[in-house]
Amino acid sequence: MSAHTHSNSIQDLYEGDQSKLYSGVLAHHSDVNSSESKSQVKKIWKVFWILLVITVIEVIVGMFFSHSMPKGLVNFFFLALTILKAGYIVAIFMHLGDEFKGFIVTVLVPLVLFVWFIIAFLADGSSWLHMNNESPSREQIEAVAPHTK
Amino acid sequence: MSQSTVVTSAPKENIWEGGRSPYNVSYGKMMMWFFLLSDALTFGALLISYGTTRFFSAVWPDANEVFKAFPFAGHASLPLLFVSLMTFILIMSSVTMVLAVHAGHYGDKKNVAKWLVWTIIGGICFLACQAWEWTHLHSELHGLWGTFTDPATPTSKFAHFFDPHVAGHVLDTQPMMAMQSTHNFFNYFFTITGFHGGHVTSGVVFNILLLVNTVNGVYERRGHYEMVEKIGLYWHFVDLVWVFVFTCFYLL
Repeated sequence: MSAHTHSNSIQDLYEGDQSKLYSGVLAHHSDVNSSESKSQVKKIWKVFWILLVITVIEVIVGMFFSHSMPKGLVNFFFLALTILKAGYIVAIFMHLGDEFKGFIVTVLVPLVLFVWFIIAFLADGSSWLHMNNESPSREQIEAVAPHTK
Repeated sequence: MSQSTVVTSAPKENIWEGGRSPYNVSYGKMMMWFFLLSDALTFGALLISYGTTRFFSAVWPDANEVFKAFPFAGHASLPLLFVSLMTFILIMSSVTMVLAVHAGHYGDKKNVAKWLVWTIIGGICFLACQAWEWTHLHSELHGLWGTFTDPATPTSKFAHFFDPHVAGHVLDTQPMMAMQSTHNFFNYFFTITGFHGGHVTSGVVFNILLLVNTVNGVYERRGHYEMVEKIGLYWHFVDLVWVFVFTCFYLL
C-alpha cells in the first residue's frame, strides 16, 4: 500500500486523500519537542486545571450552600459555570477555536434553536404546574357529577 | 493550526471562489461535527423534557439525598462525592485524548498509542463507576425503569429521596404526587445516563480500534493521524454531554 510514491501536488490531493490536505502534516509539525508543541501541551493542562477548579466549586456550592441561597441565583450560577466549561471543551479540546470563522459559525448557529426550546418547554411546564394546582381534583369532580356507567 | 497549508497565501476574498475548501476541513471531519450537532439535539431533547417534567412537578427528589453512597463506605452519607469522582475521571480522559490528538499532529506514533491507552483506561473506569451506581440504585429500588407505580406503596419507600424541609408538606398531604415525581426522576435518570453510557461504551470501542490501527502503523503509512482527531471530537463531545448531565441531575 505504501509502495507507490506520494505526490503532494494540490490536484492529486483534492482527488485523493483530502484529509492530508487539511490535517496540516504537509506544512509544519515536524518536531514534537518544539516550543510550539510544548506551549500547546501547556495550554491543554491549563484548561484541565480550569475545568477541575470549576467542578470543585460547583460541587462545594451544591453540597453546602445551594439550600441556603435563592433558587434562581443558584440555577443561574450553575448554568453559567456549565456554559463556561462547555466553552473551554469545545474551543480548546475540540480545537473549534482554531478553525475558520465560517466553520465556527456553521457549527454554532443551529444551537441557537436551544434558546427557543428552553423557553417553549419551560413555559409549557409552568402552564401544567398552574393547571395541576388550579384544576379541581378527581374526587371533587366526581362529587359534583357522579360517574355513571 | 496553520491555515495557509498548501495554497500559497490565498487572499481572503477568494475563499469561496473554488480551488480550496472554504472551511479548511476535510469531508470526514466536517461530517463528524455535523453528526455531533445532531447528537447534541438528541441529548438536548432528553434533557429539556426532563427539565419540563421537573418544572411542572410540585416536588422533586433531591440529588443530595439520592446520590450519597460511595463504594465500600457503607451507609455513610457522602452526597455528590461519587459523581464528582466520575466527572474527574471523564475530564481526565478528555485531557489524555487531546494529548493523543496533539501527538498525532506531530506524527508521534509512540505518544499517540500511549495517550490512547490512558484514554481507554479512563473510559473503562467511568463505565465501571456507572455500573456500580446503577447496581446500587437497583438494589435500592428493586428495578431500574418503571419503579414506583403501585399506589399501595408506603410513603416510607420514597420519602428519603426528598429534602424534608422542602417536600415535607407534600409528602404528608399528597404522597402520590411525590411518588409520581420519584417515578419520573428515575425513569429520566436511567434513560439519560444510559444513553450517555452507551456513547461512552462506543467511544471506548472506537478508541480500541484506533489503538490497534496506530500500533499497526496504519496512520503512519497514511501520512496523517486525522482519524485520531475525528474520534477525539466524538470523545470530547461525550465529555461535554456529561458536563450538562452533571449539572441537570446532580446540581440544579
